[in-house]
Amino acid sequence: MQLNFRVPIFDVKNLSFEVRGQKILSNISFEVYNGEYIAIIGPNGGGKTTLIRLLLGLEKPSAGEIKIFGKKLANFKEWYKIGYVPQRASLVDENFPATVEDIVKMGRTARRGIFANFSKEDKEYVKDAMVKMDILHLKDKMVGTLSGGQRQRVMIARALASSPEILILDEPNTGVDVKSQHRFYTLLKKLNREDNITILFITHDIGVIADDIGRLFTINQKATICNDPKKTLSCEDMSELYGIEAHLLHKHKHEH
Amino acid sequence: MIEMFEYDFMQRALVAGVFIAILASVSGTFVVLRRYSLMSETLAHSALVGVAVGLVAGYNPLWVAVVAAVLAAWLIEYLRSAFSLYSDAILSILLSGSLAVAVIIVSVGGSFNNSLFSYLFGSILSVSYEDVLTIIVFGTASLIFLLLFSKELYFIAYDEEVAKTSGIKVAFLNFLLVTVVAIIIALSIRVVGSLLIGALMVIPTVAALQYRVGFRNTMLISLFFALFSVFFGMGLSYYFSLPSGATIVLCVIAIFIFSLVINKK
Repeated sequence: MQLNFRVPIFDVKNLSFEVRGQKILSNISFEVYNGEYIAIIGPNGGGKTTLIRLLLGLEKPSAGEIKIFGKKLANFKEWYKIGYVPQRASLVDENFPATVEDIVKMGRTARRGIFANFSKEDKEYVKDAMVKMDILHLKDKMVGTLSGGQRQRVMIARALASSPEILILDEPNTGVDVKSQHRFYTLLKKLNREDNITILFITHDIGVIADDIGRLFTINQKATICNDPKKTLSCEDMSELYGIEAHLLHKHKHEH
Repeated sequence: MIEMFEYDFMQRALVAGVFIAILASVSGTFVVLRRYSLMSETLAHSALVGVAVGLVAGYNPLWVAVVAAVLAAWLIEYLRSAFSLYSDAILSILLSGSLAVAVIIVSVGGSFNNSLFSYLFGSILSVSYEDVLTIIVFGTASLIFLLLFSKELYFIAYDEEVAKTSGIKVAFLNFLLVTVVAIIIALSIRVVGSLLIGALMVIPTVAALQYRVGFRNTMLISLFFALFSVFFGMGLSYYFSLPSGATIVLCVIAIFIFSLVINKK
């Protein structure tokens, strides 16, 4: 394996975010390195999605600094290196005139100049992404006719089409059935191990992910970074993080 | 139907009509998908302020209408971003406000007459060479913009936030889109009229959406519907002495109803 000077993909220092005086995130610092597989968990309203929006430049921090690939966020231009799959991925407008291929092509849009149409190379990337997500056979289908699990794979294929180095997913399993969820985590793991794509995702499926992930970030206004996820996922820690919800979560875990 | 084009004024109307059909339907696809349908109505009314100023001050109303509509579009975008107001409420306020201003200007200036009426409802007979030239020049520029940025605008229409995170200049393109839409609306009021242009912009796309096909085909179907309505509407208007704008709009509504019925699930 090649030893390289490890510039983190994300380098977050003392990040805080507040809205109208209300603290959402407070003094968060962490790094994300190439090849990592990281899950973010935490209670609703704890600031998980806000954190991701800050990382993507969709919100401006109240304090602190974010560096992406060693550059300050404001100076970062190579956004195609980051694939983003938002929370509502499976909730598309059913009437929107888009085939699966139309959607996946969007992943190449920003890489093309304004004057250029999609090239042969773009089409190859689009096809590869659809093959990886096992949706090539659906390419001419209207996206509104797909199931939740299929739509989710379309959204990930779109993110993959720009050949990103990191995938950021916000609760990708919202609106997806259990069978598809398993298939989904297998795919994520494969992308991480075989294609060396760094993965950072928000989830509630704590029981499912414990065996696969490398690190776990727990976010509830403050961040706790855990390098040994299996240890963190004990009931006591969950209680601390989630408060009263922990018992429910724990019970839920055993039911499966 | 050929002999109606032996007249100069019908030739001008045809050229203007074809251009407007192309512009309205292509821009209309983005307008509908971005949920800007009501905005087209508001801009059409704002364009009337320009028409009123033009009529009273003696400038070409079409040129001043373009300026007024563009300024209104920018004002809407500014109000949307700077204040926490409901965007449909902003549109509604600007719509009635513009109309009120236009009526006052015209009535104070003493030109409350047939020429304003022709801008409200469109009039094929009154399309001049200068109008045709204005439509071709501004229309071509607008069309080039829309086609150049179509894949970016499409992405933004589908998912503005993801488009932004992938590095697309969303704010800038939104600004350009509303500017171009304002120009197209102002150009169209000569042929279809300011009270009716919203229909020509929105309905062909809504009708095309009923066929549930991909983006490119939706745009092509919408274009075909708009062209067909303009041709057919102008023909009916010529032979039966009907007002052109209203006839064109009724044609496009008939197509919409037809599309809705045959594609019913």
